[in-house]
Amino acid sequence: MMDVKRVISKIEKNYIINNLRKQERIDGRGLWDYRKFKIQSDIISSAEGSADVSLGETRIITGLKYEVGEPFPDLPNEGVCTVMAELLPLASPLFERGPPDEQSIELARVVDRGIRHADCVQTKKLCIKENEAVYILFVDMYVINYDGNLIDAGGISALTTLISAHIPEGKIENGNLEWTGKYFTGESIVNELPIVITYGKIGDIVFLDPNLPEELVCDGRISISVTEDKITSIQKSGAATFSIDELKMLGDKSLEIGKKLRKDLNLWQYKAKYK
Amino acid sequence: MPLIIKDEYPEVLFREDGKRLDGREKNELRPIKMEVGVIKNADGSAYLEWGDNKIFAAVYGPREVHPHHLAKPDRGILRVFYRMATFSVFDRKRPAPGRREKEISMIISDCIEPILFLELYPGTSFEVFIEVINADGGTRCASTTVAALALADAGIPMKSLVSAVAVGKIDGKIVVDLSGIEDKAGEADLPCAITWYNKEISLLQFDGDMDLNEMSEFLDLAKDALGRIHQIQLEVLKSKFLTIQEKSDEIIVNKENQGES
Repeated sequence: MMDVKRVISKIEKNYIINNLRKQERIDGRGLWDYRKFKIQSDIISSAEGSADVSLGETRIITGLKYEVGEPFPDLPNEGVCTVMAELLPLASPLFERGPPDEQSIELARVVDRGIRHADCVQTKKLCIKENEAVYILFVDMYVINYDGNLIDAGGISALTTLISAHIPEGKIENGNLEWTGKYFTGESIVNELPIVITYGKIGDIVFLDPNLPEELVCDGRISISVTEDKITSIQKSGAATFSIDELKMLGDKSLEIGKKLRKDLNLWQYKAKYK
Repeated sequence: MPLIIKDEYPEVLFREDGKRLDGREKNELRPIKMEVGVIKNADGSAYLEWGDNKIFAAVYGPREVHPHHLAKPDRGILRVFYRMATFSVFDRKRPAPGRREKEISMIISDCIEPILFLELYPGTSFEVFIEVINADGGTRCASTTVAALALADAGIPMKSLVSAVAVGKIDGKIVVDLSGIEDKAGEADLPCAITWYNKEISLLQFDGDMDLNEMSEFLDLAKDALGRIHQIQLEVLKSKFLTIQEKSDEIIVNKENQGES
């Protein structure tokens, strides 16, 4: 059992801050190091794509389901991809039962926006018949253990799930929806891989990938989604303020870290083996 | 609109060689794999793979009761929350808990309560959270089994473990441990559990039809299968402590070696 506290003592808080001032972290990392990612894909037979992602002790299991429905009137030839997150009370004494709270909605929305605005999911390919039938994809994230930085773990988890997708290909024949016998795979619906990178801020110190104690004592966080060469979404949360110079520095840093992470994780290795 | 691939069941549930569709004999269980201590934040936790079922269970407690008015001054309370992930079933499940999940939570809670000493923990609650991430028939039994393991992992005093399994009738024959297809296409389904301290039945439901002879056959078959499940539970728990023992032995040996050199 880990020691999870809602309130961290002054002494521990000072310990965390003093270490950060010396460019050190309580878990031995440097300021710009990620904890270790562990990724498994296609672990759930009832889902059309799935991933089990651990970032340090934070663990998120994500599954993909689809439905066929009518498109939005303003986008008659585009499918829909929605992201949901559940902070299971099983994952931490800090999570309570009940309908989604702010924290889980923020997680789902930040991951969703990261994907939506980065030309990641090719929604035009998710159209079966214009104005009539499109795919609606549900990317549902379940937090199994919470040890800080759900957003980055969730982002990788959602991407891996989409890459591992294998969705039955449908066509409309004589007004009926039928299966062509083939599958859509992640390869054909995912283009860019936007990676969301979260920093914590305490006082004037900024650091990558806050763990749980750091997250509980930090003034605020900033999450930046990046593709190969562009920033695609930003979310600042918590009661911290960032200077313009800091933001410029974090933008540079994010592209650099994103590049390295994309290479290290090599997410395309998780693509579905269906044809 | 309907899904593109339809969820269809076969008409015959036995192969020509007399075995079941997944190759099992009538009294054979699906492969079972259990693990304890998988969720670091929880006081106790367990993970179970039973055929294609994949289930996490975590225990928190004894801890303060929320909401406070549920607390009982003379004993602790047990609350079980059985939930299924949206992607655990063929048609996406709605995220909010439904009637089925609430009923199963209660059934499991009533099944487990006899093995605990709740009277020793007045004013507190034990909360068991069960999350089914992949379902393939018999999830209430698998959940009960894994919940008992998580309680033991939490070090909560217990009279014994409890194990559960479903017995059923498919194509007129009585078989143990129904898979998802057998559950949906079969004729009868009897989930049951045994609390081992008194060897009595603590969970029992039945849907279908049976005569008295069949009922005793059902229960005998279940008892035999439950014994095997209990053994697996015990071994998993033991292996956890054996691993700890081995590690501490290693440390002692290392220290002794250092002392000599």
